[in-house]
Amino acid sequence: MTAEPWLILAARSFAKHRLEAVLIGNAAAALQGSPVTTLDLDFMFRKTPLNLTKLKRVADDLGAVVLKPYYPASGLFRLVRDRDGLQFDFMSKVDGIRSYQSLRSRAAAVRFGRATLLVATLEDIIKSKRAANRPQDRAVLPVLRRTLDEKVRLEG
Amino acid sequence: MKKSDSKAKRGTALRRESDRALVQQIRRLLALPPSKRTNFLRKRLPGGGSTL
Repeated sequence: MTAEPWLILAARSFAKHRLEAVLIGNAAAALQGSPVTTLDLDFMFRKTPLNLTKLKRVADDLGAVVLKPYYPASGLFRLVRDRDGLQFDFMSKVDGIRSYQSLRSRAAAVRFGRATLLVATLEDIIKSKRAANRPQDRAVLPVLRRTLDEKVRLEG
Repeated sequence: MKKSDSKAKRGTALRRESDRALVQQIRRLLALPPSKRTNFLRKRLPGGGSTL
């Protein structure tokens, strides 16, 4: 199914509450042209007290709740809305990504509705999946690499 | 010997065809603007599993 309604909601709500986050994972890879699928949207953000307040406001705005599904130090905050299964994961640490700032500096702004979302580059997504090295990451890596090859070929 | 040769050839042909289909799919997606490459969300099904 199309992720457009969720992407528009995220872009609008982040803009409204001035929450800055970069879309990563398979959702970002799909927006970069990879034929991959996902159940949720993953974001990297900076875990500051102000951003956690903004995250709570975004959740309230969307009629969702913020959960910490793993141990407190994990840096993962899950925004969940039961009625339609909306799930946004916010991570302050991502395998293979040295810093939020570096990821952000390379990210592309993509417009959804009246606002924009920052989307990680395919190179960063590949780097992250290679570092995470879980079976689901290894499964999509050849597709992501092939997409990157095609992008380079088209742009070169 | 002959049978395994033809099996290997079939396997190679299938891999080549699968690879060609993947590249075609990627090219179709890259021809769209990023904001239109949004058909990637899987929906959770009650009782487990997911569907596009």
